[in-house]
Amino acid sequence: MGEVIRVAVVGKGGSGKSTVAGTLSRLVARQGRKTLALDSDPMPGLALSLGLGHITEPMLTAAVEKDLNGRWQLKKGIGGARAVSQFSIEGPDGVRFLQFGKADELGLGTMFASVSGFGQVVHRIAEDGVLSDWSIIGDLSAGTRQTAYDWAPYADTYLVVVEPTWKSVLTGRRIVRLAEQRGAEHIHLIANKIESNGDLDVIEERMDLAARCVISRDPMVTTADAAGVALIDHAPESSAVASIASLAEGLEGD
Amino acid sequence: MKIAVAGKGGSGKTTIAGTLARLLGRRGHDVLALDADTNPMLGVSLGIGPEETDLLMAVRQGVDAGHIGHEPTLEGMVDTFGRDAPDGVRLVLASRIEKVDPGCPCCGVSPEQLLRDLEGDNVVIADLEAGVGTLSRMPENGVDALLVITEPTVKSIEVARVVCALATERHPEVEVLVVANRVTSDTDRDAIAKGLDRDVFVVPEDESVADADRDGAAPVDVDDGSPAVAAVAALADRLDVRSKVSA
Repeated sequence: MGEVIRVAVVGKGGSGKSTVAGTLSRLVARQGRKTLALDSDPMPGLALSLGLGHITEPMLTAAVEKDLNGRWQLKKGIGGARAVSQFSIEGPDGVRFLQFGKADELGLGTMFASVSGFGQVVHRIAEDGVLSDWSIIGDLSAGTRQTAYDWAPYADTYLVVVEPTWKSVLTGRRIVRLAEQRGAEHIHLIANKIESNGDLDVIEERMDLAARCVISRDPMVTTADAAGVALIDHAPESSAVASIASLAEGLEGD
Repeated sequence: MKIAVAGKGGSGKTTIAGTLARLLGRRGHDVLALDADTNPMLGVSLGIGPEETDLLMAVRQGVDAGHIGHEPTLEGMVDTFGRDAPDGVRLVLASRIEKVDPGCPCCGVSPEQLLRDLEGDNVVIADLEAGVGTLSRMPENGVDALLVITEPTVKSIEVARVVCALATERHPEVEVLVVANRVTSDTDRDAIAKGLDRDVFVVPEDESVADADRDGAAPVDVDDGSPAVAAVAALADRLDVRSKVSA
């Protein structure tokens, strides 16, 4: 086992980011790697796709304190490694999972401590030498916002998930431009929900990129989503899992 | 009348917002379609095409770049940065993210501010960013009605639950209507209605909407008699915007 895998999974809402991120995290962990799955979406997502069920409580609230200006700051001594050991939870296949709080009826207001802590922790995680043998998979929120605001400083690779709709392609293009500005080492197109060669051709032509991974439209993904369970537990033999497994094997070579 | 459309990413917010805007435009309403998503796509569902949608300038970036006078009026911004769409609909983009580290999203002209101030004789239909960010920052009386779009999946229903709870808590004056989208069966509908403990308005799964999405077209231009478009027309009736006809 060679180098670590450090990826951000991005794309339009509904394109399949969480399914890819959750399944990839489980598979990377099964390769024997120390694996950290990061969910920076204020809406529910990665915990379900990892097979952890519904997790809403804000993590990292005990890791922050207010400074003199009333801003939430990480407490002294909380580096990336300590944040992971102290505040992440363990999921299936030994994946460690970290998220901030999810929005509730008070919006994100009550989550500011957790969100601020998370926003700072991702930078500590990216820089922490103790975590240099950890693979990290981040599930970013829908659209362009988190790529623009540097929510995945740990990522050298952006996996841009695109389905065969124009809106998904436009979002993918915008994210590619932002990831290039960010200086991403690798930007890979993940073509999802593919029903025909025509679907794939259209995506590749419109994105002006060759797909690194092609995932066929798979009814098992729909039933896993409907049930709120991890695809890899729901349908381990499905074609979608097989496609993501080949992606997982190839990423190390980057 | 101001109608906002919210829900999980990919639930069909933009498709329903664009279709509703076109149908209301055909009925003679003076419709202003506000794209309040920093990843703006409403132009696609209004029928002006994906490539052109990608070139439209948003108010926030236009004002920042000095394309309009020092103290721009709302009408001036709609005139300068708006774009005509079919059926007499006027499209305005609030803000778009074009480069990394784009500065504070709440400073300058914000979607919430435009939502609060746009009115006049218009019917305003605002397509919000995925999730609850805009809603949680929205001032009182920002909108009259909120459409919460959800598909029959656990995640989508959970987002809808949070949106409904936030609206009830923060904006009790707003009429909230849940739209169950891409429904294929009574089971789908019931999953949503039970999950949210609310009546739902059903928009059925529709192959012609899927075709429109694939081709980057407006559903009303692909087949304006399709089951989903007919359901959005019924939704327009339900919203009772007839009294606001300005034509």
